[in-house]
Amino acid sequence: MRSRDGDNSFSLRLCTIIFLFIISSLKAEEYYISYRYVVKDAIIYNESLQVSPAMQKCNGDTYLPLILENNKSKNLKEILSNNSLVFIDYLHKFGLNVEHEEKTSNYKNTSTTVLTLKTKCFKVDFNDNFARIAPLK
Amino acid sequence: MKYSLIFVALLSITTLYGVETAQETQIQNYEPASNVAEPQDQTIGALLAMQEEMEANANEPVLEEAKPLIISVLGQGVAPMNTQSPAQAYALAKRAAIADAYRLIAEKVKGVRVDGQDVIKNMMVKRSMVRTAVHAMVKNANVVETVFKEGLCEVEMEITLFHSDFAQ
Repeated sequence: MRSRDGDNSFSLRLCTIIFLFIISSLKAEEYYISYRYVVKDAIIYNESLQVSPAMQKCNGDTYLPLILENNKSKNLKEILSNNSLVFIDYLHKFGLNVEHEEKTSNYKNTSTTVLTLKTKCFKVDFNDNFARIAPLK
Repeated sequence: MKYSLIFVALLSITTLYGVETAQETQIQNYEPASNVAEPQDQTIGALLAMQEEMEANANEPVLEEAKPLIISVLGQGVAPMNTQSPAQAYALAKRAAIADAYRLIAEKVKGVRVDGQDVIKNMMVKRSMVRTAVHAMVKNANVVETVFKEGLCEVEMEITLFHSDFAQ
């Protein structure tokens, strides 16, 4: 496309704007995710999944990605709540810290087990039909 | 007659005293014998304990450099009472069972810290307390099988240990 005076700077500017728009729309986002659950006397007591957008850029390369169904949503919390079982099984692969304490007082036993995934930075690519999530190492 | 009576009395006293001293010496003689027998019992006990320990070690699998070691555990979890649906009960019981399995793996691989305290008063146990604790990081554990029956979920988990994981 050329302007009336024959200068092609207009088309160049337009192309740059479109390119920047596409880049910004496809930009991956980074989130900090932590997971913890408590089991008391063989019954689950509390489970929490913390998701927070990263304020600073995370360093490292992605590994072991997971692809989740998206339905055009760009809200990670919504996507994770729709695919919670799959995502929690996926989190188990990174290893969990186990803290177990058991107390037997006068022959009565009580136990508490806490499994924790320490806060990890994840890179998330949102697309129309799926979101690709991968931790950074 | 009087002298003979006095002589008999003296004779009986001396014989009685002699018997008592003989019994005492017998007891004194027995004591060292019992002291000699104790170390023998102790050494036999120690040898038996060592033999049992060696047998137990022979049965336990050992992580070797060329051969990975597979550890398998069975975790158990119970569904809470206030669940909305059987599916939720299953999911929650499975989560609890997985935590139990992780704990069992950690116990097997890293060990358990055990603290115990008993309070005894007037020859009776007033309070007995045993505390155990496990702290570990478990990675690459896989669920092999899940069984859910009558509110109890059993999860079989396996972990493969390699020598390189522990090499320093």
